[in-house]
Amino acid sequence: HMVEDTSNLLQHVKFQSSNFENILTWDSGLESAPDTVYSVEYKRYGEREWLAKEGCQRVTRKSCNLTMETGNLTELYYARVTATSAGGRSATKMTDRFSSLQHTTIKPPDVTCIPKVRSIQMIVHPTSTPIRAGDGHQLTLEDIFPDLFYRLELQVNHTYQMHLGGKQRDYEFIGLSPDTEYLGTIMIFVPTWSKESAPYVCRVKTLPDRTWT
Amino acid sequence: QEFQFGPCRVEGVVLQELWEAFSAMKDIQAKDNITSVRLLRKEVLQNVSDAESCYLIRALLKFYLTTVFKNYLDKAADSRIRKSFSTLANNFFVIVSKLQPSQENEMFSISESARRRFLLFQRAFKQLDIQAAQTKAFGEVDILLTWMEKFYQF
Repeated sequence: HMVEDTSNLLQHVKFQSSNFENILTWDSGLESAPDTVYSVEYKRYGEREWLAKEGCQRVTRKSCNLTMETGNLTELYYARVTATSAGGRSATKMTDRFSSLQHTTIKPPDVTCIPKVRSIQMIVHPTSTPIRAGDGHQLTLEDIFPDLFYRLELQVNHTYQMHLGGKQRDYEFIGLSPDTEYLGTIMIFVPTWSKESAPYVCRVKTLPDRTWT
Repeated sequence: QEFQFGPCRVEGVVLQELWEAFSAMKDIQAKDNITSVRLLRKEVLQNVSDAESCYLIRALLKFYLTTVFKNYLDKAADSRIRKSFSTLANNFFVIVSKLQPSQENEMFSISESARRRFLLFQRAFKQLDIQAAQTKAFGEVDILLTWMEKFYQF
């Protein structure tokens, strides 16, 4: 039984998702006292029954990790929060329909930048997610998004950048000057879902050239 | 980039554009407050064989064009919504017009299986009041696009 929000105890109930880590967050209302407690329920879109999230019942914090409960990529979900004040007043609010495929944001990639004398190698490491395949192994972003690709940029000077990109993980910027500092930025793109990560940035100095010393 | 629904190939449709069009109209999904009913349920879309997919997508898109989208355009007052709506409808029309599923006898059992799946969807649609059903079906275009992506060759 959903109690109409008769008081200002609760607002902004929504999922925050990053690399498929799905966290439900909310804010207290203007009239919320510090001793207000919150209880979380969730369900799959299309089902009637709401399920109580263990560990997020009558808590005072304003977030709840629902990653495991919302990990099926073919499903869509709802969550709702009930706020109960010490005086017994309560309010319940629900999220919009949530699809982790659509809503998750992409974190910067994990990259190793390796300086050499006249080049810089960049190795992008696969990004694992909490999502598991049917056989239980953890999926990477590359597994989930078939059109995912990387874009790499090397800032040579104020006016000149070098660009590389593609689906592979190993890249090398060549033809550089020894003993010189460069700034590399690497981003992940998923065109179909219009997703773009924040950049991973590495500041690297090429090695001195000791061949004639 | 093309769709390959089994033997049926559809070129010239960019999946990202369909997603962008749907995202621009996402507010319509929030108008569907029947959270306990899902039209495009697992029984409709899960484990669809390649051969079946051409029959099923054709039936679904034709239904969307003739029944779901039909009087949505006059409701879409906002010009940005109208543009996105037209993008979606036009692309659905292009896909349907390019799908030529085989009508040969040996394909009968496959087309029948696809038809049963479609009827599950249609029956669930008809159990709702028409306005609520259209809003729900419209709000489930993301489920349809997610399924269609499996047949998309990047």
